[in-house]
Amino acid sequence: MNKKIILMFVFGMFLFSLTFVSAETSYCAERTITGLWCQNVPLSQVDQNFQSSPTSCEATKYCGLGCCYDSNEGTCMRNTPEIVCTQKQGVWQDSASCEVPQCDLGCCLIGTEAAFVPKQRCKKLSSIYGLDIIFRTDITNEVQCILSTTSDKKGACVFEEEFQTTCKFTTKKECLDLKLENVSFHEDYLCSAPELGTDCARTEKTTCVDGKDGVFFLDSCGNVANIYDASRIKDPLYWTKILDVGGSCNSAGSNADSATCGNCDYYLGSTCKSYARSTDKKRPQYGDNICRNLSCNFEGKNYQHGETWCADSKGLKNTLPGSRAFRMVCYNGEVSVEPCADFRQEVCIQSDIDGFSTAACRANRWQDCVNQEKKKDCENLDKRDCTWISGSTVQCVPNFAPGFDFWSTDEGGQAEEICSQASVTCSVTCEKGLSGSTTCESTPKGCGDEKGLNAAWEAKQNLVCGGLGDCGVKLNYMGQKGFNEIGD
Amino acid sequence: MVKEGGNKKRGQVTIFVIVGIVIVAMAILIYIFYPKISSSLGFADETPSAYIQNCIQDKVSETVQSLSLRGGELNPENYFLYKDTKIKYLCYTNEYFLTCVMQEPMLKSSFEKEVSKEIKVNVESCMNNMKDNFRKRGYVVEGGGNSFEVEFLPERIVVRFNDSLTLTKGEDIKKYDSTQVSVTNNVYDLVAIANSILNWEATYGDSETTEYMNYYHNLKVEKYKQSEGTTIYILTNRDTGEKFQFASRSIAWPPGYGGITA
Repeated sequence: MNKKIILMFVFGMFLFSLTFVSAETSYCAERTITGLWCQNVPLSQVDQNFQSSPTSCEATKYCGLGCCYDSNEGTCMRNTPEIVCTQKQGVWQDSASCEVPQCDLGCCLIGTEAAFVPKQRCKKLSSIYGLDIIFRTDITNEVQCILSTTSDKKGACVFEEEFQTTCKFTTKKECLDLKLENVSFHEDYLCSAPELGTDCARTEKTTCVDGKDGVFFLDSCGNVANIYDASRIKDPLYWTKILDVGGSCNSAGSNADSATCGNCDYYLGSTCKSYARSTDKKRPQYGDNICRNLSCNFEGKNYQHGETWCADSKGLKNTLPGSRAFRMVCYNGEVSVEPCADFRQEVCIQSDIDGFSTAACRANRWQDCVNQEKKKDCENLDKRDCTWISGSTVQCVPNFAPGFDFWSTDEGGQAEEICSQASVTCSVTCEKGLSGSTTCESTPKGCGDEKGLNAAWEAKQNLVCGGLGDCGVKLNYMGQKGFNEIGD
Repeated sequence: MVKEGGNKKRGQVTIFVIVGIVIVAMAILIYIFYPKISSSLGFADETPSAYIQNCIQDKVSETVQSLSLRGGELNPENYFLYKDTKIKYLCYTNEYFLTCVMQEPMLKSSFEKEVSKEIKVNVESCMNNMKDNFRKRGYVVEGGGNSFEVEFLPERIVVRFNDSLTLTKGEDIKKYDSTQVSVTNNVYDLVAIANSILNWEATYGDSETTEYMNYYHNLKVEKYKQSEGTTIYILTNRDTGEKFQFASRSIAWPPGYGGITA
């Protein structure tokens, strides 16, 4: 109990001293000598050509954070000091989270595309792309916005060119804009439809289309036809009318590496790519494009496109110095590594649903472990990440103890002070009775007897020691010894 | 005699072969270096735009690529040294546990101005060469100042010259009101995504990279948290290989039991 009180006292002292030191030396610099805006720094780092005061920036007006609105681009940037915004010709408003009318998001429908942006941004996009826009404020989230896009109906635009009846697969508007003689638009028809009598015939060629996942057939005029389906290449019906993705081959699957079906789905793990012998497992039966498999192979295990999972560096389970958690990400056939915060201040959590794993780095909640007196509170995963070690001087320790930068002057001192709290002296007093038997009493109780230290007690103390941080004599995560040895 | 004649003929054939090889080699060289040769000779580029385009497009691409790797500034004052590259902090706090303060709220326009600054000398040189070129071809050149601006647009970068240019040759008067150069590049999209990530950083101190990769199928977002609390973001267009890198320090965690300032 005494040990716990001491520990709590030490933590309290740290917080108090740091707050005190901070308040004493920190200035709110509108600009620092290194050109940073609105930072709490020592006086020596303050740029004297700008405002400063010996207080926190939160308490100043000149460094109050607001929303910087770019009236030209229609973008809103949060947490911006007024001076930074106005210097760059932005419009500053007193709302750090940009809850101002100009930044209210809506659904901007531009042609067949959609973006969930402020109104001014929508207008800007309209001027960039030269397209009419519809801005809908009734749509309140991005997913709904994207789902609300409607594409103009497409079809076969048949016309005469050089004494031949030819065709272009396009929208009705574009077709009529061609302003040619004998133009007729046939909605939902493909240019290769036999009844249209054009010179566009079916071919064995395929193509990838911008903004779409699938592999598409091409007709002899270069028009896009239906999704590549080897089994229907000679079916006149398949070359007559537009078939949607749902009605095309194997629409429930990703069709990754399929030689016969080009109904790719990015979210299921495939997309149209030009066939490459070194990458793709199968050669398409027709054409040069295939649904590229976007899954990843990592350390002999297969991960689906979009999966994220946790990985530990060596020694994380034993909280060795230098160890940390990582999140691995599989996208487009590539695995990237996202380190969680160093010094084990973040842990990686993972859940699996039907074999699809999702992981995230989140804060390691070790801070109040040592304050817990009950096992139930200690192991409450909703509140903290701690482990109960019954019978030790400090019974509740972090699952992953935080690391120290013990090599630096300041923190090194802190590490020594923290770690020393786990040091315990075991005193054993033995009395020899008249009958010749020996009775021993130890403080703390049970720590040892006339033969020496109790191994179980010693192991527990080691756990407590390691549980406080990078304490004790340890190898680092690479298996390298530290500077000190036992007995130093 | 017959033998001698045969030798002469063989010698002639050899000369013809050598001349033929030289002609083919010259043709290949002209083909390879055609734009440069033509612009130096000054007979190919009919319009000022085409001349300037040829002259500065490589410089624009190089500059944008170089600045993109540094967060939009060639020599940033506030940077994180990542793999020997100075990457600019676009959002920063020197404290622990606090969200960052936006340092570059108008990233696109700042980046555009930085590109303008870096290509200024080359643009001026190109403009002067272009004017000299037209003068050599007998034109009287009027206007065409060196004032210009750079604008990032979807899939291209436009360098727009503000002054009109008039070329006069006898009665032939050509007036160019809007000389502009367009370079294929999609840094526009990467900057827009960087802005969105920065808003996340300023609000939550972190961002979810997979959200962006779900929406933009050709985008790769890499996030590397450094020991002292900085996060390096690398945005890559998978199709073109274009990159934009920037640094942010927001809700940083101290080592061990923590301090207040870094």
